[in-house]
Amino acid sequence: MTRKIVSGLLGVVIALAVGALIMFFQGYEPFATYAALAQFSLGGMAPLTTTLKNAVPLVLTGLSAAIAFASGPVNLGQPGQLVFGALAATLGGLYINLPPALEIPLLMVFAILGGALWSGLAGLLRQAFDMSEFIVTLMLNMIADFFTAWAIAYPFMDHKAFSPMTPPIAQSGWIPDLGPLNSSVLVLIAAVAIMWFVFQRWRAGYEWRITGQNSLFARLGGCDVRSNFMAVMLVTGALAGLAGGLVVMGGPHRFIKGLGANYAWDGIMIAIMANNGLIETLIYGLFVAAIQTGALGMELITNVPSEIAQVLQAVLVLVIVATREYAALIFDRLAARRQASVRKERAA
Amino acid sequence: MNILIGLITGMISGATPILLAALGGTLTFYAGIFNIAMEGMMLMAAFFAVLGSFALHSWVLGLLFAVGGAMILALIFIFFSVVLDTDEFVTGIALNLFALGSTTYLLRQIFKVKGVFTSKAIVSVPNIRIPLIDKIPFLGPIVSGRNLIVYLAVLATILCWYLVFRTRFGLRLRAAGYNANSLDSSGVRTSRMRIEALLLCAVFCGLAGAYLSLGYVTLFAENMTAGRGWISLAAIILVDGHPYGIALISLLFGFFDGLGLFLQSYGVSSQFTSMVPYIATLGALYVYARRNRERERNRL
Repeated sequence: MTRKIVSGLLGVVIALAVGALIMFFQGYEPFATYAALAQFSLGGMAPLTTTLKNAVPLVLTGLSAAIAFASGPVNLGQPGQLVFGALAATLGGLYINLPPALEIPLLMVFAILGGALWSGLAGLLRQAFDMSEFIVTLMLNMIADFFTAWAIAYPFMDHKAFSPMTPPIAQSGWIPDLGPLNSSVLVLIAAVAIMWFVFQRWRAGYEWRITGQNSLFARLGGCDVRSNFMAVMLVTGALAGLAGGLVVMGGPHRFIKGLGANYAWDGIMIAIMANNGLIETLIYGLFVAAIQTGALGMELITNVPSEIAQVLQAVLVLVIVATREYAALIFDRLAARRQASVRKERAA
Repeated sequence: MNILIGLITGMISGATPILLAALGGTLTFYAGIFNIAMEGMMLMAAFFAVLGSFALHSWVLGLLFAVGGAMILALIFIFFSVVLDTDEFVTGIALNLFALGSTTYLLRQIFKVKGVFTSKAIVSVPNIRIPLIDKIPFLGPIVSGRNLIVYLAVLATILCWYLVFRTRFGLRLRAAGYNANSLDSSGVRTSRMRIEALLLCAVFCGLAGAYLSLGYVTLFAENMTAGRGWISLAAIILVDGHPYGIALISLLFGFFDGLGLFLQSYGVSSQFTSMVPYIATLGALYVYARRNRERERNRL
């Protein structure tokens, strides 16, 4: 545990130092930039709640990737599953109008089903034809992108708008603000808690984890590896779909062009930084959300383009992973040396 | 007749970037590296090609810049995956996102635009007209008048085959992937072979990227590779890395790419026609998986 924290912190510090070097060589002041970044993401109630809200899609897609990677399936389809979830929630919100207490959960279910449908398709192709889900999910991402672009440009387009987007969803489907905080954050917390419980405490989660570590062992031990594979694909697709639904219901309240942005790819990066741990995914997700939120404000006062956030994120993931693997090596070496010296003392 | 010629030339231009990227990727495939950074290398190359050509008014320098851009990514890949022994899959994913982030950032930083950069000052790579051959009916307009990089891609395919299967370098390269320990114990360092494979991959991906931004079109757009690096990875897997097989598969994808554009002129909406190459990849994966399954069944 302490190892994890030490190597994680070390990784973050080194990555931020590399980021500072990049900024320095471009003639910016790294410390002022980082200060602005922190100020606009964590300094005060409004920045903090914005960061939390922005963390919702990042952490949810991160959870999706983390659970998939830790259980075996290489599901890289979060981007496609996210836009499908968003589309499903939008369509539900366009045609169904119930009281908020029913409408909001219903649209979330739509989003979950939309995401699970798209990941289930990849899972099915794997089950039926042995097609590697790695490439299949990547191809389905592109197809989902074009499909949703078509859906919002033709059949469901808002004809009053100048760029492709759907009309707004029924107001009863908007996720309300609790004071300054958007309550989609509560959904996120619930989702993290449920997934942690399922993954760490339930038999199903145990089987998934064991399959991810050694699928032969799991099969010989009596796990139904095939149905577990499908279950993981569906659950992870559902999480990504929910992320998409919440983006629509909490934000623009309609499907606008480019809605998926980079949320899902960022989520995959977050899962990698977190080494597929669920709680770690939450922590790194909040961290990345802070960087992205702060970057917009930072641009206003320091002239550093907000796109630096994307560069910083890529540096973060590389350095954190490299540091973790390198630190593990050094820790092991230290432990070995300690053991050797103990043995020597005993001999003497 | 003209439609047929159009379809074939469309197929060739659609196939070229995928072919080049896949040839680069296959060298790393033989060297035993799980390299998924072709997408990022192409994107970097496409950006630096435009930068070089715009700033120095020369497509030759544009090409060199492109290779340099891809090389930056290859060097980072080498540093993390060969030197520090970081997981290759993770390194590849991070590098693709790094390429996307840094080209978007640099686009804003250097050209002060978001989304797309185009300018009259960008010199594109010329098309080559072959005398005599272009007089032949039907074949002439197909073989002659293609972009220089298309011809380079044809040469690269043959070169790649020769390199992998007919030279000492190729033997060692394949040995690095087949049995790294025995290569190491015979006195050739596997890590060195992998480094060389990655650098060569960057050269090929550099040309692929330059073709996108200086040949196919003359502009740079955010994320303009649009998954072509992933398709090239699929192409490698489908034919187990054989260069001639890759050429065939790339032409197939190019055909569907061209077919998409062709359908567009018949009123099919562009979103659906753009899906065609990706659906074709899924179809190819299906055929591959079925063939694999049959092969296994025959073995039993």
